[in-house]
Amino acid sequence: MKKIILKISVLALIIIGTTSCDSKLDQIPFDAFGNENAYVSAADFENAIRGAYAGFTAGSMYGGSDQGGMIDAGDVLADNVTIAQEGRGTRTTLHNWRYVAADGPLSNTYQQTYVIVNRANLILENIDDFEGDSKENIIAEAKAIRALAHFNSVIFFGKIPTQSGDANGSLGIAYVTEANANALPARETVGVVYDKIVADLTDAVTGINDVNPAGRLNKEGVATLLSRVYLYMGKYDLAVNAANMVTTKPASRDNVVGVWKDANQDGLLFYIPNEVGTLGVGVGVAYSQGSLTNLTPEYVVDYDFYTEFSDDDIRKEAYTAFGKKGSNNYNAIVKWFGRGSSFDGLVDMKILRAAEAYLNKAEAYYRLGNETSARNALDEVRSRRYTSFAGGETGQALLDAIMLERRLEFAFEGHRFLDLKRWDFPVERDGFGDLADGSGVPSDAQTLSSGSNKFQLPIDQSILDVNPNIQQNPGY
Amino acid sequence: MRTKFSGILTLLLALVVQLTFAQQKTITGTVTDDTGLPLPGANVIIKGTSTGTQSDFDGNYTISANVGQTLTFSYVGFDTKEVKVGAQNSINVTLAPGASLEEVVVTGYSTRNQTVQTSAVVSISAAELSQMAPTTSIDNMLQGKAAGVQVTAANGKPGQGAFVRIRGTGSLTAGGSSPLYIVDGAPIREVDLATIPNEDIENISILKDAATTAQYGSRGANGVVIITTKSGVRNKSANIRYSTRYGVVSRIDDNFQLMNAEQKMQFEAEMYALGVSTAATLPGVTTLPGSPERQFLLDNQTDWEKLILKDGILQNNSISFSGGAEKIDYYFSVSNDRNTGIIDKIDGFERLGSRLNVNLDAKEWLKLGVNVGYSRSTSDEPRDRFNDQNPFFAVYSAAPYDTEFVLDEFGNPVLDENGDPIYDTSGASDYPIREALEDEPQLDIRNTTLASINTQVLFNKNWSYEFQTAVNWLSRRVEYYVKPGSYLAGVAAGIEGGLKRDFQDHRLDMTVSNRLNYNLSSDNHSLNVLGLYEYNMNEFNRILAESTQFPSPLLSTQTNGAVKREARSNRDRLTLVSYGLFANYDFKERYFVSGSVRRDGSSSFGADVQWGNFYSGSVAWNVANEDFFSVDFINDLKFRGSYGSVGNRSGLARYAAQGTVIFDSYPGGSSTIPDQVANPELSWETTTTTNVGVEFNAFNNRLRFVSDYFIRKTTDLLFPVQKAYETGAGQIATNLGDIENKGLEISLQGDLIRTPEFTWTLGGNVLLLDHKILELPNGDPIDAPNTFNIRWEEGRKINEHFLIRYAGVDPETGRGQFYGGDGNIYFADELPEDIENRVFQGKSTIADLEGGFFTNITYKGFGLRTDFVFKSGNWINNTVKARSTFDGADIGFNQTVDAFNYWQAPGDTDVAPSPKFAAVDRDIYYNSDRWLEKGDYIRLRNVTLSYSFPKKYLEKTPITSLRIYAQGQNLLTFTKFWGDPEVGLSSGETISFADAVAPGETTLYSYPNTKSYQMGIDVSF
Repeated sequence: MKKIILKISVLALIIIGTTSCDSKLDQIPFDAFGNENAYVSAADFENAIRGAYAGFTAGSMYGGSDQGGMIDAGDVLADNVTIAQEGRGTRTTLHNWRYVAADGPLSNTYQQTYVIVNRANLILENIDDFEGDSKENIIAEAKAIRALAHFNSVIFFGKIPTQSGDANGSLGIAYVTEANANALPARETVGVVYDKIVADLTDAVTGINDVNPAGRLNKEGVATLLSRVYLYMGKYDLAVNAANMVTTKPASRDNVVGVWKDANQDGLLFYIPNEVGTLGVGVGVAYSQGSLTNLTPEYVVDYDFYTEFSDDDIRKEAYTAFGKKGSNNYNAIVKWFGRGSSFDGLVDMKILRAAEAYLNKAEAYYRLGNETSARNALDEVRSRRYTSFAGGETGQALLDAIMLERRLEFAFEGHRFLDLKRWDFPVERDGFGDLADGSGVPSDAQTLSSGSNKFQLPIDQSILDVNPNIQQNPGY
Repeated sequence: MRTKFSGILTLLLALVVQLTFAQQKTITGTVTDDTGLPLPGANVIIKGTSTGTQSDFDGNYTISANVGQTLTFSYVGFDTKEVKVGAQNSINVTLAPGASLEEVVVTGYSTRNQTVQTSAVVSISAAELSQMAPTTSIDNMLQGKAAGVQVTAANGKPGQGAFVRIRGTGSLTAGGSSPLYIVDGAPIREVDLATIPNEDIENISILKDAATTAQYGSRGANGVVIITTKSGVRNKSANIRYSTRYGVVSRIDDNFQLMNAEQKMQFEAEMYALGVSTAATLPGVTTLPGSPERQFLLDNQTDWEKLILKDGILQNNSISFSGGAEKIDYYFSVSNDRNTGIIDKIDGFERLGSRLNVNLDAKEWLKLGVNVGYSRSTSDEPRDRFNDQNPFFAVYSAAPYDTEFVLDEFGNPVLDENGDPIYDTSGASDYPIREALEDEPQLDIRNTTLASINTQVLFNKNWSYEFQTAVNWLSRRVEYYVKPGSYLAGVAAGIEGGLKRDFQDHRLDMTVSNRLNYNLSSDNHSLNVLGLYEYNMNEFNRILAESTQFPSPLLSTQTNGAVKREARSNRDRLTLVSYGLFANYDFKERYFVSGSVRRDGSSSFGADVQWGNFYSGSVAWNVANEDFFSVDFINDLKFRGSYGSVGNRSGLARYAAQGTVIFDSYPGGSSTIPDQVANPELSWETTTTTNVGVEFNAFNNRLRFVSDYFIRKTTDLLFPVQKAYETGAGQIATNLGDIENKGLEISLQGDLIRTPEFTWTLGGNVLLLDHKILELPNGDPIDAPNTFNIRWEEGRKINEHFLIRYAGVDPETGRGQFYGGDGNIYFADELPEDIENRVFQGKSTIADLEGGFFTNITYKGFGLRTDFVFKSGNWINNTVKARSTFDGADIGFNQTVDAFNYWQAPGDTDVAPSPKFAAVDRDIYYNSDRWLEKGDYIRLRNVTLSYSFPKKYLEKTPITSLRIYAQGQNLLTFTKFWGDPEVGLSSGETISFADAVAPGETTLYSYPNTKSYQMGIDVSF
């Protein structure tokens, strides 16, 4: 009997000492936070808005990617670059316009658009109960972010309003303004999407601070973007008005090389500082890897385009360089190559620059018939790029000059294809090879005629598969 | 909670005080055959109970039994013998040949004799394990050993495990289909199995149907593999066992031939002539045949395979001491395993293991047990990428006229300022792989402690209580160093001064288990009831640090890095609380009934739906034990049936039910990143299994047959559902969808010859599997995540390839053709764009026929054992073949001589398409079934020739047994597949082991499987 009591005691001790209640099942994450805690204080909203901006550092946006993003897709699709045979063969379907729905290019950009939009929408939905001083600025930033994210997709997947008469009625993208995981948004027309972009940017430009910390939009940045949107819409007077809000001048000629080496920020209106430890994104991988003496180029400067850079043009030095691999010589693209002498591609992400406001204005004034103002705006840029230039063009020559300057100024920043597209121009490559003297192997495909359905990229099948309301573009 | 327990205790007390005490004692002895040789792995069972043990390598056993109980001794191929426990403490038994088949089965919470088993269970003893082809990871050994178990080696890397599927693919999430592995009561992850030395394993039991897996309610849905480690023998001085093995390992020869430099250049010239512009800068075009430049390239050509690979070394040494006194037994072991692998310049895998298992009778009624194993494994990790940083990619892709080093005009390496040769980094496969193997080392070190601590309180002959804590503690370090001055440091962004990345992982899995056991047996009836209360906690901690700018390649700790790039720690935790009640009953070993109920709560699910109830029931009838049954040659004829449900939660993020944000950095401070959208309804995935089986033994058990038919239906599949991309919400874990696996398992074994001197046994097993996706979210097809071209659709097989059908070469033009979705034939750029051209063809990555067969011949001391494994019905998209015979696309990479067989003139058939079209057509080919091949193979996994010295020769030596053997592994393969048909991982860095949803979908240059020759000695003192 004594033994049994002893044994029962042992049993009781073990059970009581080592077991406890089912509350052990209530586990919460150590590395994450419940949603309900995330949008409360002023600091929370600062964190949240930075989180929304952080979406733009993805490779498919401004972070540089070998699958195509905002700094390269507009060049890879156009006539500014030639594919390098010694590269890794990235984006060949994009470059040669061979895309089909099964492997829709830039699908990461499309997806990232909505990742960013969702972050902005979560802020806008949760900020009602917040009454801090920063509220108006945060709302303005969130709306500007939402507009920029949508804009970055609609320009590739939909027509641009000035591209053709039917553009405004054609398929745009879904413009999403609520954070709802279960929604199945449908594509809206290009006209509606641009109107919504304008609405968000107009709200933003009034509410946003004149100056915000680096890596965040401010009034002049939003105004520049708004001028571009109006230019794409063909609303030239509004484009001029928006551009006129920008008083910052384009980077001076002496500073241009330094801007692209991050030695100065002259003329930058919206850029994301890219420091190791905070971001450390290898942006330059979009164009090449390695040093100039052992270069693995993905794309090199198209030879014919290379000859458009006059020796007097400071951008020739800032954007291009002589590079080699083994016995092959290249006209390398060095706009995102690295700071100082490094070649790690680790540079700030430059998103909006003052020069654009002036070039937007120049083109808009020209379209409005005001050649003098157009020329003045153009010369604000040219005077800061060349030591001397002839200038004084009129008529078609002036338009050509505006277009050429736009091509040169924004080379390798992803504008070219979109400019050709909105002007309803074809893409015409020149047949030169990939090597520095124009020899070597040319790109497989050379011409994309205007009006081709390939100007609107197909929406990747995987995107259609999960949302039956999304319609494919014609021709895919 | 405490009130609940005090209630249980009161009840207990009331029961216990009414029961009297029986006299229990420990009995030891030896089981031998009629010639006096020990019988290892013989079963010793207390009749009418489920308590039992197995004899060790030398035939010794220890068991606790009460006076008056009967011990049943059995061994495959021998008559069963029964001895009643009386005054004696030692019972030695000699079994006569020609006896019954009785295998003991460890089901984790209890041990059962196979004859009273009502469930589909396969048991593999230490004696059998010692006859199998040795591998560094135990899961690889299971292939072909048990009907219904499908094993696919992940790849051939030393220490790498396998994808094990018991009765099909039971879940659609990555990792969700792996069985639950339990070592001495502690769960262990499939990827950590290589931390267990094979020598320490006493028994592996594979539980297949719900009758037994339901006892693991929460996590047994995909079967359970129970690994039990060895223990010593009571009342016996130490048995010392030493074994050593040594051998060479090498690549399995390819069944195709790569081009040499001459062929490659000829091919390039042919391609260029056909308009393949990318060949313009290659030597086959830039040099002329017969020119000095061409001759220079031919004279200095490289055999990349010979250069990059080597014949490696396999080595194993182990020693163990085991024995015991009256109230204690122990097993101690130390072992060392080494497999250098076949890549030159790196060291492969090495493991040091040590174990001590002690069982102690502290009181007559109190038993204590401690099983502790420690192992340390180190592995040099090669890159497993789909590019030329991977040594095997380089073997197949580097052009044979390229050289390791830059050469001067005389063909001698050019030296740098330090006098070292300069690596050649030109050409299509330009990565200096041999330099990288030295200058970019990656090391994976795992320290694993497996400990199980056990207390058993015996109240009387009926009641006992057991308490166990089992801990699996992994401390892992992974170091990746890009040395300053290395090639990669020179070309990759931002790491000119080198880069070092260190992971430190701590992973703890702890199980605390309380079990109350009730046994009742009489001559006719036997009843066993077990109550369980268990808590399991799994916690993962990681610290990661990364720096750049190192002063010297000799220094690699983070403290030496001038620029700290990254430092972070992560932690997560998963818990499980379980209650269970299990009962077994049999009447005269004729009628058997068992049932179980288990209730599990898991922290990973929504708070209101954390709990799942799982149950099972099974019945069996042994006709042969009926009085009316009088067919003499039939020893056993048992019919079994079982039905039950089991849960699954694996393959799921740990907090998947909760809505969360995470934080990252952005200029100015933190940034909030919305991460998961909550799904509070997320709950258990449930697998329901119906099983019917028959066991048949005849002719004094010379013929042994087991067959089972099963239907496994998995419902409420755990599924990450992709929300519309336009919502930006990403994926949400949900319970949606059903799948079904049906199959027939047969194992048959027979002793064709059985005499005291000569035996010849033939045996084999096979699984015939049929599987289907019954239901998916919204009925929509899903492109399987972490696959290339696998799509899931209702009514289709699991993991079917979804590709455009290749229609062969148009004999007129030489251009490749494809079937459009409308069934018509098109060229690549004419395929209809408004319809889906990819189709299902019923071709899945999962084999529908798999198994193994063996023959074992023994004559006097000689033994010859041969094991084959086979697999059939799976389809592999052979990307390596594509890239090696690619019509002139990717021309810079080496090709096989088959690439010459392309269309040249109208009328050519049985040829590859003309390279003229390669540039335009190549992307479509990757989405086509042109290189989709059957993965069928039969492989000679193991052949062992051994000799055991007869006792009479050893009598005058201290040696009690001595065995020498020679062994070959993977020496023969029969397949029509191009390359090696054992395909698991495609490329471990493209889709990792943990992420693999469709193992064997495609080939992407992962570490190939190897063959080996080994010799060994086992000796006991």
